Amino acid sequence: MTLKGGTSQACAACKYQRKRCTPECALAPHFRPEHTEIFKNAHKLFGVRKILRILEKIDPSQKTEAMRSIIYQANMRDRFPVHGCLGEIYHLQYQIRQAEKELYAVLSHLHFYKQQSPQQEITIDSSPESQLGMGLQQSAANGLTLFQHQQQFLPVAPFFDQSYNNNNHSGIHFDSMSNTGNDGMWLQQTYCNQNDGKTLVALQSQLLNTQPWTIQEEVTHDYDEIYPFFDTIDDTQSYIDSKDANESSSESSLKETTQSVQHVAGNKLKRAELQLGIVSEDYQATV
Amino acid sequence: MASSSHPSAPCAACKFLRRKCIQGCVFSPYFPPEDPTKFANVHKIFGASNVSKLLNEIAPHQREDAVNSLAYEAEARLKDPVYGCVGAISVLQRQVLRLQKELDATNADLIRFSSNQNTLMTPSSSSGSSLQNPHVLPPHYGNYSWNYNPN
Repeated sequence: MTLKGGTSQACAACKYQRKRCTPECALAPHFRPEHTEIFKNAHKLFGVRKILRILEKIDPSQKTEAMRSIIYQANMRDRFPVHGCLGEIYHLQYQIRQAEKELYAVLSHLHFYKQQSPQQEITIDSSPESQLGMGLQQSAANGLTLFQHQQQFLPVAPFFDQSYNNNNHSGIHFDSMSNTGNDGMWLQQTYCNQNDGKTLVALQSQLLNTQPWTIQEEVTHDYDEIYPFFDTIDDTQSYIDSKDANESSSESSLKETTQSVQHVAGNKLKRAELQLGIVSEDYQATV
Repeated sequence: MASSSHPSAPCAACKFLRRKCIQGCVFSPYFPPEDPTKFANVHKIFGASNVSKLLNEIAPHQREDAVNSLAYEAEARLKDPVYGCVGAISVLQRQVLRLQKELDATNADLIRFSSNQNTLMTPSSSSGSSLQNPHVLPPHYGNYSWNYNPN
């Protein structure tokens, strides 16, 4: 299909739908002719009408970003049909927990050394922009009160209402409270439906009284910072390349993540099971 | 609305779509009638037809997880039409990077501190510094690793 009076190719959306691509085509700016696989994924998950409906409600200046997130979400669902983006969220939360544990361990060592040589001052050289560094410095001095200061930069991880889990057994239900005995420093996450007039998404630390953060605020505030995110996760090229190559690479990453998310999924999964899951360290590189 | 051979109430999906909820309805195990919002959100963002096709491609024992993840993504997209659940991924990514950076810095501080301590204690020690005494070494934790060379 060609544009009226022009020599340009039809966009991937119109090509897929086998219709004429007009200059007014709303999807043409977002799906170049070579993006057939990408559009196929987006079409499979959302459908053209739903995509257009989402775009209609958005400010024109943000349509490009919205489409990028839609494409990302669709690609993730294509690679991981069961969990989609949620698998990635789980993986990141797992990484955060591991990093926090390791940080706690290092601070324990620092505290130990301080006890061994009380006359020697601990000089922790942290970058000025690092709030965590300042928090940790104080923590080491105060005897491992590490996470007292984490409230300044706790992640606002999304959660989902318990009502989504029929018997509270779904693999993606995230109730940390019952599993905090092991390390005693986990974070309780709660999600509240905005329709109830409550906070949109709140993250509360178990260890301290923090002000709940809302993901909406976080996202709104950091819209500018989210722009670079897509630059690092743009996997457009992988869907333009040969399908076989994609399948082999996505299969291997799928297998790696499947091994991890299978520990998450299915069933009566609790946080302890998540900790036992084997998560590939290379997963992030494949996203 | 329920079929005569299916005594229980229609599922939320069939109720929403105003159709008969047949016995083999693909939605009924995952969209109970008590929670109409769940299906409404999923249908609004993805469409019932797409969800049905997705579920049919997934093994039955994984469908509940798939539905719950779709429900989560749908709700996230309704709350944030621009980024949806991808916004949360972005936030978490930055948190991971920040923590990693902090971990690297703190590890470096620990190594520096331990080497300072080594330096302080070495001149006064005849049989070896206290650090060489394994009994005063801190316990090993998790993935933390550093090279201790008693020599």
